[in-house]
Amino acid sequence: MAERRGLDVDVYQPAEDSGLLARAATEDGRLGPDDVALEVGTGSGWVAATVAEETGARTLGSDVNPHAAEQARERGVEALRADLVSPVRDGALDAVLFNPPYLPTDPENEWSDWMERALSGGESGRALIDPFLDSVGRVLAPDGAVYLLVSSLTGFDEVVARAAENGFAVETVVQESYPFETLSVLRLTSE
Amino acid sequence: MKESLMDIIVCPVDKHDLELAVDEEEADEIVSGTLTCTECGETYPIEDGIPNLLPPDMRDEVEA
Repeated sequence: MAERRGLDVDVYQPAEDSGLLARAATEDGRLGPDDVALEVGTGSGWVAATVAEETGARTLGSDVNPHAAEQARERGVEALRADLVSPVRDGALDAVLFNPPYLPTDPENEWSDWMERALSGGESGRALIDPFLDSVGRVLAPDGAVYLLVSSLTGFDEVVARAAENGFAVETVVQESYPFETLSVLRLTSE
Repeated sequence: MKESLMDIIVCPVDKHDLELAVDEEEADEIVSGTLTCTECGETYPIEDGIPNLLPPDMRDEVEA
């Protein structure tokens, strides 16, 4: 496994949740060649690259992790390192996609490497989802949409409530059940 | 990064415009350079084609 370090060990690779997010953003039919989208926490860049290919939208990928930003760039994604949407101009994006780190983690058991950052959502599972929901409205164009992947492990109702508090209309675009969790992709639009 | 990214990005701290200084360019991509906030003066490096727009406190924490 040692030779795989730096690839699979440091950067989250596409899984069921990635597939579901890409499918929701493309099949929802709102994105086209004139649009600009950002995938927050892009990891390997697979979702951003797939959405760009399927919809023609200019799709950027951001990540905190330098190894992820590199992998996304190698995949042809316009990559940047950023904390959530903090370096984005007001109203600049037609869509924001996010498959967040969402696993609830016991603080005693947290391990601190890049994969942990990609997976762990802190004690509640919502350590990054909450600040994302509180800040994403600023960067969204008036008719823009957020596609957010939510696991039942994270608390579906809590995420929906937080989105509503931030003035979003919430719709479930796709939902799939797996042995240990149900994954949904929510579409948030300004009310 | 592409130069057209300048239409989308701002300083992560105060959301003001950034000024681009290019060190190295290849085809239509800026490979290395510096982004400087026109308001607070904070600088953000572009390395290997990737702009690092993490806020300064986080950049230091992550690199540590």
